[in-house]
Formats: sequence, C-alpha cells, structure tokens
Amino acid sequence: MGEKPVASVALRGIRKTYGQLTVADGIDLSIQHGELVCLLGPSGCGKTTTLRLIAGFIVPDAGTIMVGDQLVSGPGHALPPEKRNMSMIFQSYALWPHMTVAENVAYGLKLRKLPKADIARKVAAMLAVAKLEKLADRYPGELSGGQQQRVALARALAVEPETLLLDEPLSNLDTNLREEMRFEIRRLHDEFRYTTVYVTHDQLEAMTTADRIVVMNAGRIEQIGSPEDIFLRPQSEFVARFIGGTNILRGRSFGRMIQSGPLSIMWELGEAASGSDGALSIRPHEIELSAHAEGGPNTYSGTVLRHTYIGAQRDYLVDLGGDNHLRVVTALEQHFAPGDVIGVHLPPHRCRALAR
Amino acid sequence: MTAMWRRVDLSILLFALVALVLAVLVVLPLGWLAWYSVTDSAGNLTTANFVKLVADPAMRKPLIITGQIAIGAALFACVVAVPLAWLVSRTDLPMRGAIRALVTASFVTPPFLGAVAWELLAAPNSGILNQWGRALFGLDDYDYVFDIYTKEGVIFCIACYTFPYVFTVLANALDNMPADLDDASHILGGGAWVTLRRITLPLVLPSILAGMLVAFLQALTIFGTPAILALPSGFHTLTTKIWSLFQVPPQPNLAAAAALPMLLVTLAVLQLQRWLLGRRSYVVVGGKNSPPRRIKLGWMALPALGLCFMIMLGPIILPYGALIKSAITNNLSDGLSWSTLSSRHLHFILWEFSGTRDAMVNTLILGATSATAVTFIALVVGYLAHRQLVPGHRFLPALAMAPIAVPGIVMGVGLFLVYTRPPFLLYGTLGILFVAFITLEMPAGFQQVQAAMRGLHVELEEASRIFGATRMQALMQITAPLLRTTIIATWSIVFIGVIRELSATILLTTSNTKVISVVIYDLNESGELGAIAVLGLFLLVVTFAIVLLVNRLPILGGRTVR
Repeated sequence: MGEKPVASVALRGIRKTYGQLTVADGIDLSIQHGELVCLLGPSGCGKTTTLRLIAGFIVPDAGTIMVGDQLVSGPGHALPPEKRNMSMIFQSYALWPHMTVAENVAYGLKLRKLPKADIARKVAAMLAVAKLEKLADRYPGELSGGQQQRVALARALAVEPETLLLDEPLSNLDTNLREEMRFEIRRLHDEFRYTTVYVTHDQLEAMTTADRIVVMNAGRIEQIGSPEDIFLRPQSEFVARFIGGTNILRGRSFGRMIQSGPLSIMWELGEAASGSDGALSIRPHEIELSAHAEGGPNTYSGTVLRHTYIGAQRDYLVDLGGDNHLRVVTALEQHFAPGDVIGVHLPPHRCRALAR
Repeated sequence: MTAMWRRVDLSILLFALVALVLAVLVVLPLGWLAWYSVTDSAGNLTTANFVKLVADPAMRKPLIITGQIAIGAALFACVVAVPLAWLVSRTDLPMRGAIRALVTASFVTPPFLGAVAWELLAAPNSGILNQWGRALFGLDDYDYVFDIYTKEGVIFCIACYTFPYVFTVLANALDNMPADLDDASHILGGGAWVTLRRITLPLVLPSILAGMLVAFLQALTIFGTPAILALPSGFHTLTTKIWSLFQVPPQPNLAAAAALPMLLVTLAVLQLQRWLLGRRSYVVVGGKNSPPRRIKLGWMALPALGLCFMIMLGPIILPYGALIKSAITNNLSDGLSWSTLSSRHLHFILWEFSGTRDAMVNTLILGATSATAVTFIALVVGYLAHRQLVPGHRFLPALAMAPIAVPGIVMGVGLFLVYTRPPFLLYGTLGILFVAFITLEMPAGFQQVQAAMRGLHVELEEASRIFGATRMQALMQITAPLLRTTIIATWSIVFIGVIRELSATILLTTSNTKVISVVIYDLNESGELGAIAVLGLFLLVVTFAIVLLVNRLPILGGRTVR
C-alpha cells in the first residue's frame, strides 16, 4: 500500500523514421502493470508502429523501451520479439492455415517446452474460455470471422504473457459482432489482468475497453487520459474533433472570452493565453436553439441552412455569420425549417478554450 | 540481454553471397560476350566482327531470314491464339477444359520434338501427309502437297509451340476482366458482337500485343526448329549461324558479335512489353468482380469447337500421332496394323544405342540439381526481398530476373567463352550445363516464389515470433509448410525447363555430357526418326507426369490455404 505501482512498459523519447517519413516522433508513454491502454488515432498516426516497436518487430531510431526494469529496445538494437514474453492479436488474425484451432492455440506453449499434459490441459481450458471446444479440430479456413477472432484471442492468452498487444483486432468483424467482442475483451482483461496495449481507430472501441486512452496524431501523442478525460476535457482541437466530433470557433482570446468575427463568446472551460489566437470547442448536442433570439451572454441570431432528421434527434447546420457554421443536434421537438432565423445559445459552462 | 546485441548479421552475409552468385551468373558471361564481340582472335580491339555481320552476305542473309521468321511466327501465333483464347474464356464452348489442356500440352512440348514430328508428317517425299495427299489427289511419286523444309514450314512449326504464350496472356486478361464492363455495354444497347468489337477486344489489345512480343522473342531466339527444318535445305537463321560458328574452325568473336543484337532486341522488346502491360491497369479495375457471363454460341458451338480442334491438329494431334506411329512401326512408310508393329526402335534406344542411358542419367541429374538450386536461391531471394531484411534488398529480384532478357543461345555463347578458360574450366563437364540451366531458369523459378510470397501475410510469421519462436523456428514451422506447394511447383517448372532446353545446351555439351535433347538432335542428323520418337515420347511422359502432379498440388497440400 502507498507504494507506486511499477511501470510495466515504458517508452522514452521513441522516434522512428522511414526515409523522409517520421512515423513516431518522440513518444513518451508509461503503462502500469495490469492496465489496458488504447492507442487511438486515425490511420497513419503511428499507433501501429508504436505497437510493433513495443513488440520488437521494429527497432527504434532513438529512445528506449523498458519492460519492468529490463531494457528491451534502444536505438539500433532490440531484444527479438520471441524473448519478450509478449503475445499479440494481429489485424489479419494471422492464424496459421496449416494448423488446427487446437494446434494454433498450443503453438506458443509447445515453444515454451511445457510438458504435454500441461499443454493439453491449458489448451482445453483456453478453448473453453473462448467457447471454441467444438471447433478444436477445425482449420482456420473453415471458421467464420468471429470464430477466427476468438481463436486469435485464445492463442494469444494461452501463453499467459506479461504483455498483451492487440492490433485493430475487431476491424474485420461486422458491427454486431464487434460490439459483442468489445465487451468480451474487457471481460477477459478483468479476468486475467495482463498489461494490455490495444490499437484502434474506433473511438467507441477505445471508450468501452480502455482504462486509459492515448490519442495519437502524426506520430505524436496528443493527449493521454481516462475515457472521460478524453471526451469531457479534450486539450487540443484534434482530440476534440476526433473524439465525439465538435464545432470549432476560431478567434482572438481576451481573458475568458474569444472574439470570433462578429461574435464575442464567453468560455468557462479549458485555458487560453490572453491576446493570442485561440480556438473554442462546443459539441453539437451542447448548443441550445430557440425560436427567437433573446438577449443574454453567448446568445446569437442564426439562420438554419440544413435540417436532417436522424431518428431520435434532429441535426441542424446553422449559419451564425462571419463564416461560422455550427452543427447542432437537438431533441425531436425542436423543429425548424431551412431559412428560419432562430436563436442560438452557447452555454459558457459548455464552451471549452483549446490551447492547441 | 545477451541476445539483444546479436542482431543477426547472418542475413547480410547470405544476402552478399546470393547477390554475388546471381551477379556472377549473369554478368560474367555477358561481359565476356561483349568483350569478344569487339576483339579479334588475337585479343585486339576491332569493329570487324560487326562490320562482317552486316557486310558479309553469309551473315546478313540469316539476319534477314530470322527477322522474317520471327515476325511471321508471331503474327501466325497471334491469329491462332486470339480466337482460341476468346472462345475458351468468354463463350460457352463445350470441352473448354480439354482445349485448355491441349494448349498446356503445346506449351510443354519441346519445340525441337515438334519439328521432328513435322518432318515425319510433311517431309516432301516420306511425309505421312504427303503420302496421303498423293493417294487422295492421285499425284505422281515425287509430287508433294507440303514441304516443311521451307521458311514457311519453319514459321508454321515455331508458331505451333509459341502460340500458347499469346494464349496464356490473353486468356488471363479475359478471365480477369470483370463482367460489369461487358454488362455496361449491353445495358447501353450493345449486342454481343458490338461489345466484343468495341469493348472486349480494345481492352485486351495490350495483352494481345504483349503476348505477341513474347512469341516474337521465342521465334527470334529458337534454335531447335530451324536447326532441324532449315539446315537440310541449306538456309540459316541467326541461331543456327551462331551454332555453326562454333564448328570447325571456331570463330567465337564473330559468334559473340552475332549474339549481341539478339540480346539488345530482347531487352528492347521486354521493355516494350512491360510498357504495354503497365498501361493495362485500366482493365483490372477495382470493385466487386462478378465472374464473366459467357456468350452463348448457340448453333455455332459445334463449328467453333471444330475450329479449336483443327487448330490443335498442328501442335498436338498430328505430331503426337506421327511420333507414336513411328515409335511402334518398323518403317515410316509402313501402314499401321498388327503386322507392322515393331519394338525395334524401343530396343535400339534401350539396348543398342550407347548414348541413351548416359543422356537419361545426365538429364535427370541436371534436372534435379538445377531445379533444387534454383528453388533454393529463389526462396532465399524472395524471402530476403519480401521481408526487406537487408539493405539493398530491392536489387535482388532485379538480379534474379535479369536472365529473362538473355536468350538461351546468347547465354550459351557467353558461358562457352567464360568457362573454356582458366580459372573456371567447366567446359566438358556437367558443371557448365548446371550453371547454364540455373541461370536460364532463375526468372521462371523466382516468379513462382515471388507470387507466393506476396500471398503470404507477414503477420503469419510475426505471430510465431511473438509467441516465442526464433526466426529460424518461424521459418521452419510456419513459412516453409505454407510455401510447400510453391516449392514443389517451382522445382517442377525448372525441371521441365531443363529437360527441354536445347539452344544453350547445344553449344555447351560435349560427347561426355550429352542430354536427351541433344541426343534427339544428333539422332535427327543421322536420320533415326523412329528412335527419336521413342525418346521424345519418354520425354513427354515425364513432362506430363510432372505437369499433372503440379496441377493436383492443392490436393497434395490437403488444406485450403487462405
């Protein structure tokens, strides 16, 4: 008690370039023992490279990677992947098509030279956990996508790794199955508590599975935080846009106010240096619309440009003048037609100034 | 921690070794070839060889004839292959599988064997077809219908065994062409024939031209067919001329000069072909490819099928019939009946003719060793290049593919020049043939491996590493089993290539190192056509056995490899 948990995986200043292209640009990240961390970002942001650096498939140009107190990667050299006691689920699953389900799951155990009886016992247990008992003698080519995914999971967990790496494990599944597997992965993590690094471009996947989310962009880390942190307290325009979607209003900061074209907008969240160019974020569902513009702070008059009915809600595009177009999501009862002039209220306690 | 620093430099070492071997295989013979072409027999620099090549009628004439034959054969091959390919891959022609099999058979039939068979069929006097013709039309004893010993005869015979190149490229393009492209034309009101003329043919035109260029190169560089059919009536092509320059007295400098233009033309044509096929990308469009809907031939199905079989008379049906007949009858002129059956030729080949057994043994040894060596090198190169394991990996495939631009006879001349002198005195041994075969077959082998490597996801191997396998274990437990079918196919393709090679072999063989193709050529010179038929059929049986094996490989693998 009171003792700080040991960082299980620690990246310090990791840099990797391919020719002109910098795919990892100074990554610093500590992952606690037993923690599930999601690397989240658009394609090409360097998240998969980071994962493969941790796995040892790629050697960093600069920086170090520690696992526990062991240095596993440094510039120009790396402990080979097979010596890292890690385990991985690949985007393509990478199930070996010439081995049965049971053989696939047993592979890592055989390499660890376990006694035959132990292997058989562990494989059986693992197949049971993944609900694959009946498919033990099938070949991967004979399985559905979801079944293959579970084999990959079972194979990865069977070796009881210190660290589990997942590279977009659900991207090849259809929507329903993906939802089911999201909870399954979280359940298995709660059961086995491996230190887990999970790469995805899907924010919902990250939100539902991760203890902490690492948002990446262009080879750098944008923000690290709990799912709530990332969603409720984005620190950069990129994070605000990428997680949940938002409206960005640009202008000049004066104290707790941003002057954007003709609009003076008060904000209460975030921070911005006074006198500098700044940006303000407010999410579409946080904006309040009314039939008539009434006076008061942060209340403006706007014109409805577009109305889209999206099931339980309505989606509006509103012109505030001065090139400021806002997306607003409202309850069904609030019905306006394109061309209507309406009142738009941006509650100051929802407006967040963004430093970057 | 100890393992951390041993970043395997073994792969770099292997890379250097393979690169060196490949470079030596190609650069050495071509370097000597270039050097010889610009020197005289005393080793002084001169342009006399090239001047002679153009000025001397004895050299210029073969040059012209070669050009005529190559163009003629390419056009002929094209005329035959285009309708055949279209019928087989785009219409509901019956027996499409059988037609494809016959084309494959033409593909693997050694052209020199086909030439001998056509001697049996269409020699002016003794030819079977001419005998029939005389009986049919009531001609005199010395009249004839066909004469295979002519330029036209050579063109015909070459086209018989080069049209599969056009067919394969074209059928492939047609097979891969999405039906949507045709459907789009239909929905806009184009009928079947309009669609064929305005859509299908223009789309595959680059493929047709590319296939035709390959046929052109084959016809340009072929040795066996003109040697068998042109020499008896006293005219030469470039290849037979080069060969004759190695007879007494040898003129290697002139031979080198004569080989060089062939190399340059080949390089130019391959570049042209790459450009043509490169632009073809608009044919293979993205999106969902629905399988082509076959055009209904209706009442034309039977005439079309008849046309196909008529085409196949040339490369397969008639020649094979002639070979079989002369293998089992005493004399060529004998009719085919129980009384004329004879095992004389079989007996001669197996027991009387001393060369047979040595040649068979040599052929099998060379086939097996070359196939093994090519497969091994191709695998190493393919792996290093595909996994990008070493710096400079991009150059390895280029090196492995380089021999594709070197015609057999050119390689033969080059190797002769290299290995008849110290420090590599290989001439007169099987070694020189081994070197020739692995060089010439490397591109074919490497293409197989490369295609398979592309289909093999890198993550399959990485998965094995992360679960605790070393690179070697991953190779042996994952990659090797998955490449098994490729390995067998590559090996077989090289083996077939070796046993049918004649162009380079003829220059590099000596009386101690004869192989079957050379023995067949020798027997032809001494007029032992019955014996050739027996040996030729043996060659074909071995070849077809291997082809069948390769075609059944997915079953050998036993499991569907995704």
